[in-house]
Amino acid sequence: MSHREKTAWLSLIALAVTFGPYFAMVAINPPDGSLPNLRQLGLYAVVAIVQLLILGAGHLYLRRASPEEARMPADERDRAISQRATTWAYYVLIAGMIVVGCIMPFTTGGWTLVNTALAMITASQVVHYGIAVLNYRRQA
Amino acid sequence: MQGSISNNIRALRFHHGEMSQAQLGQRIGLTRQTVAAIEAGKYSPSLEAAFRIAQVFGVPLTEVFQWQAVESD
Repeated sequence: MSHREKTAWLSLIALAVTFGPYFAMVAINPPDGSLPNLRQLGLYAVVAIVQLLILGAGHLYLRRASPEEARMPADERDRAISQRATTWAYYVLIAGMIVVGCIMPFTTGGWTLVNTALAMITASQVVHYGIAVLNYRRQA
Repeated sequence: MQGSISNNIRALRFHHGEMSQAQLGQRIGLTRQTVAAIEAGKYSPSLEAAFRIAQVFGVPLTEVFQWQAVESD
């Protein structure tokens, strides 16, 4: 497994173990509409910090495990995979932003809007790293 | 016209002192995994990378890569 595939897996796992539980909690127990709602803001801050810590520790571990591979610049296949992943993630993100920015403001607001926007950004990230992992697995 | 690209990289590596995929990759600026994907026919390299591979083995491009056309009705 190449260094870039490992980092794509790491990013996917970090998203799954942080924003997965966050959105599950938000779906089960939706925050009240009052703003700024510091409890909800605090929960989001904790999730974002935990994600950063997982990514930081993971990247550090991967760099120490195979320093030569980590130093190697992206080759043409890495760039092609990244381009494919970015294209698909862009479609998800733009669809999400149309929903959040052009449709939802007429029906809802507050944290529902904020969490939907966060969910769309997370979904686009999942698609990005998912497509990258899939392409690396298929040797495409 | 449809077709597929095949290659002789594995044989050429063998005939050049059993060069490893990592060694070949290092000489042409590709990762070992990319060389493995090219060898397996899963990834078609850029023209520049193809020429570099041929240059490493000191053979013309057509000795490394072959295009097999499939005539469709």
